Amino acid sequence: MNTHETEIAERTRETMEEMYVNMGPQHPSTHGVLRLMLKLDGEVVTEIIPYVGYLHRCHEKIGENRILTQIIPYTDRLDYLASMYNNWGFVLTVERHLGITVPERAEYMRVILGELQRIASHLIWLGTFGLDLGNFTIFLYCFREREMILDLFESVCGQRLNYAFYRIGGMPLDLPDSFVSNCKAFLEWFKPRLPEYDALMSDNIIFQKRVQGLGILDPKTAINYAISGPVLRGSGIKWDLRRNDPYSIYDRFEFDIPVGTSGDVWDRYMVRRIEMEESVKIVEQALQGLPSGDIIAKMPKKLKPPVGDIYTRVETPRGELGFYMVFDGSEKPYRYKVRSPTFVNLSVLPVIGTGYLVADLVAILGSIDIVLGEVDR
Amino acid sequence: MAPDEVIEAIKSRFGDAVKASEVKGVEARMDIHWEKNYEILMALKEMGLDYLNCLSAVDRIASAELEVVYNLSSLSLPAKALVRTRVPREEPIIRSVASLWGTADWHEREAFDMMGIRFDGHPDLRRILLSEDWVGYPLRKDYQDERLVPYEPV
Repeated sequence: MNTHETEIAERTRETMEEMYVNMGPQHPSTHGVLRLMLKLDGEVVTEIIPYVGYLHRCHEKIGENRILTQIIPYTDRLDYLASMYNNWGFVLTVERHLGITVPERAEYMRVILGELQRIASHLIWLGTFGLDLGNFTIFLYCFREREMILDLFESVCGQRLNYAFYRIGGMPLDLPDSFVSNCKAFLEWFKPRLPEYDALMSDNIIFQKRVQGLGILDPKTAINYAISGPVLRGSGIKWDLRRNDPYSIYDRFEFDIPVGTSGDVWDRYMVRRIEMEESVKIVEQALQGLPSGDIIAKMPKKLKPPVGDIYTRVETPRGELGFYMVFDGSEKPYRYKVRSPTFVNLSVLPVIGTGYLVADLVAILGSIDIVLGEVDR
Repeated sequence: MAPDEVIEAIKSRFGDAVKASEVKGVEARMDIHWEKNYEILMALKEMGLDYLNCLSAVDRIASAELEVVYNLSSLSLPAKALVRTRVPREEPIIRSVASLWGTADWHEREAFDMMGIRFDGHPDLRRILLSEDWVGYPLRKDYQDERLVPYEPV
């Protein structure tokens, strides 16, 4: 400090030191109860220390004390914006371990519901991301469309948020007669809405200037931090488990995997935005090929998984959801570990978030798309 | 690289440190000695299995050991690897792999938080999901808490 600065500091009683500021746990842009300890130099973030665990409920311990079918409703509460997909990840793990083949119709139902869930989840993300950056209109548009998807889900299983609808071996209920026509009507209505979002967000020069070149995640760091989902694809790596490690019947559908180029917030935004179109394509193809027949395989009354362990992963709207389960021959899993995508994706925030303004950090955090129910488990 | 080639390469380099191995589909499964975990994982990383999917801990109370499980895969190769290693329960210390993978940082903190495994060389080993003053390691099988109600199936 030179004498002039010292003089100002004395006069204004400012020390010109770096200071620590808590962002959260109650903060509208942390999407739940996330606490970030920020070290600030003026308005520039020089260090980020995330504190997670405010929603911790020891999901894994609960799972180890329940028989397999009882765990399904608990998986809903992991990523509560994509419950269908969490159910799917869990039942797929058990089915692979037991060697169960799921009937064709159930697989198609799973794909249809899973992809609708992906659209709904991305809509929530798009809306709240817009809200973080001060665009309130997009939030209302997105929630209007999501409401229609929830209506479809309600017609199938009676629930709107936590479905607990997938079963080990298939699906518990068949689609209602009106579902196929209602779903087609929704898709027809939804497709012209996507350009409307572009008009509000992508083509908005203020939004573009705000997010381009922000929070750059290079591919090497992304792999080192085992980033998955749209955040990984935003960094230019063409990696989607639906294509690269296919499960269910995803190898039958034609769809593109959008990737970014520079790995900034804009790329992550565009990846999710285009993924909605691709999901629409998948749902259309699945509705086209929906066969008739059984919806659940013949299952024993009591499930007794053989001794062993298995790791299975699915591509949820947020990335790789993995279940590592160890069985000791009893009805309950001996160990039940959830590898949640956002827990892993959030761990890279201190790397990509430093060096920007606090207001930019809000955009970077929004682009990772965290759900605290899944981070804290 | 096929999974049996992965096992063969590791076995020829580390010999007795690989206690058991099997191939399950595209997955190479290995049980290794805990003292060699860092070297073997580094060798696997150099072979191209550079994506650490998951790091979890299992309480093997019957043999008084804690197990650390590494799930490795790659974004370019079809092979996967599952590496298991066991440390004694009384003194659960194992070398950290946080210097190999950034993602191991939080996974190891979680394993420390839930199972009490201490990762030697971890840059910032403290509880992550539970509060700092929590007593005990909840995912151990002998964890006791008076608030836990035993589950009775109807």
